Amino acid sequence: MKKLFKTAALLGCTVSGLALSAGWASAGEVTWWTPNFNEARARELVEKFQAANPDITINLEITTTDGLPQRILTALQSGAAPDVIDVQHGWVNGYAQNNLVVPLDEVLTDREDYIPAALDYVTWEDQLWGIPYRIETHAIIYNKGDLVAAGLDPENPPQTWEEFVAAAQAMTKDGKSGFAITGGGEVGNTIFRSLPFMWMAGGGIISEDGTEVLVNSPESVRAVTYYTDFLKNGISPSSTLENDGTANRRLFIAETVSMYQSGQFDVNSIRQENPNIDIGVMAIPHPEGADTAAILGGWSLVVPTDAKNPEEAKTFIAFLGEADSQAVLTDTFPARVSAMEAERFQDPILQVFKEMLPFGRPVPAHPRWVQISQAYFDGIQRILLGDEDVQTAMDGAADEIEALL
Amino acid sequence: MHRQSTGYLFVLPALLVLGLLIAYPVAYTGLLSVTDNQGNYVGVENFARILGARATPTAFVNTLWWVFGSIVFQVILGVLAAILLNQNFRGRAIVRSVTLIPWVVPGIVAATTWAWMLHTEFGIINYMLTAPGIVPEPVGWLTNGSTVLPVMIAINIWKMFPFVAIMVLAGLQSIPNDLYEAARIDGASFWEEVWYVMLPQVRPVIIAVTLLLVIWALNHITIIYAITRGGPANRTLITPIQIFRTAFESVQFNQAAALSVMFFAVAIVVVFVYIRTLASNAGEAR
Repeated sequence: MKKLFKTAALLGCTVSGLALSAGWASAGEVTWWTPNFNEARARELVEKFQAANPDITINLEITTTDGLPQRILTALQSGAAPDVIDVQHGWVNGYAQNNLVVPLDEVLTDREDYIPAALDYVTWEDQLWGIPYRIETHAIIYNKGDLVAAGLDPENPPQTWEEFVAAAQAMTKDGKSGFAITGGGEVGNTIFRSLPFMWMAGGGIISEDGTEVLVNSPESVRAVTYYTDFLKNGISPSSTLENDGTANRRLFIAETVSMYQSGQFDVNSIRQENPNIDIGVMAIPHPEGADTAAILGGWSLVVPTDAKNPEEAKTFIAFLGEADSQAVLTDTFPARVSAMEAERFQDPILQVFKEMLPFGRPVPAHPRWVQISQAYFDGIQRILLGDEDVQTAMDGAADEIEALL
Repeated sequence: MHRQSTGYLFVLPALLVLGLLIAYPVAYTGLLSVTDNQGNYVGVENFARILGARATPTAFVNTLWWVFGSIVFQVILGVLAAILLNQNFRGRAIVRSVTLIPWVVPGIVAATTWAWMLHTEFGIINYMLTAPGIVPEPVGWLTNGSTVLPVMIAINIWKMFPFVAIMVLAGLQSIPNDLYEAARIDGASFWEEVWYVMLPQVRPVIIAVTLLLVIWALNHITIIYAITRGGPANRTLITPIQIFRTAFESVQFNQAAALSVMFFAVAIVVVFVYIRTLASNAGEAR
């Protein structure tokens, strides 16, 4: 019987359990949650900060990205939150709307030095709720050798949708797949890879102000058809429905996939695991006569409403927001233009990723965005399964989304 | 009178702990289900919203398949394994311990390993099937709408049948030898021994174990969530996973609580009916 109660008590238990583990922090202490990939660089910055501010102690707590949104949310709602948290830009709006973080306008300096889309992301009701420090977009990573084998010029990759499909088709032979899309894993994987195509075509999932459903508009349907046809026409591997971004990278490393969408963080692991691949990077293809697009991703710093020492936390965030600090902390690109001049961002392979940044757009800020994107993703999976055609699946998604707006 | 109230005093700490760990979360879930995220009373709005979601009926039907498919095969396979392990043969101790492995492996480890083994491109199962030419092309176990839920059920059966086997084995070992002797004198074959001696004797065990299996299957999350997250297109979405996703992915704690409350009620009814019919019959049979 106890087990049975457990199902119903799932929520209550987590909340009350966490409330018991509330921490004790004394004045002048700032607890900072940062993900494990930041650890080394974060320690370096903490040391630098403490040398200049001996009266503030920074307690670094390392988080892992798996299950991070849930962990942060429970901490924010339990009343026992840390003072500074690294979060993805897209999460900030939800926190702001639920009054879980504090506005940080007073902390931001040199507003004009930031990429505007990054600030838009963390703005709600004209206030700034996070300080963005890291930004990135996807591009297309390709195997130059496969392009050559298909009789194409690896230094002159395809630009438009039509050219790209033709190239991917030509590379699909001898057990290789020309271009891998995602259709599995966490919802975000497929949103990041398919929503830009909808934007390029003039569609989207919902309108930017969150009042209108666009997912079944002719423009969106055209883009979704373009995306899902990669599987239908056998260009994307048959495992597409179980592949997320990581699986696609593995298939690329195993040389069974010739092209896939990802960010610059994949380049190093490809180089390490299969040095034989000559990696190329191209912009995401665009429809004839339209610009390319991508989702702007990355990380911001927030101060929870329940932070024990919000003033010290703000001092620390101001330090992390300086161009020099941003150039150190980011795993990809800094959110400040002036920080981009640092040596580590000058690697030629980063060039295309850098060129994609101005085309990066924030995902729409809507309190029910997770459910909206889930409804859209379910539709994509119905298409990929062959259950429904594109128009039917997107009409179904539109009905679900309409109820959520 | 005086002695009784002293007694209450002694059980008070235990009751408090129980209250904190069980009664409070249940009551809080009930409260969440009728309020919005600001704490205002909203009546049945959360119930209406979650029932209107496209995924809810799908999840309910999947849950029925999941529970029914899992239980039937777990019990049959577990009982057969127990009867086998109850026989005398060389290496029985080793076979008994090996049988336990699936149950001992942590659920998340087992699930992740299965996910890799079942992968269309680099899974060992497709490799073993395609290399000798048993199937011409790799099977998309997790990407084909008609195989994915049966595969999940199969993994759950694999995971839990050793538990049934061990419990039933313990029951079998407590059967007094005279019963077998009496049966043999009457000329019973091995299968008649199974049918007329073993099964009636372990019936209470099987009933209790089945009840546990039903409850575990009803609030199962690990295997399915780790492998498919309920996808593709909700083909493997069962209600507990929908509750989890609604609460912790969509952050709709109130709707998740509403679904929990309804699911709790359904589960209670199932368990109640089960106990009333089967458990009482067992009492009469004895």
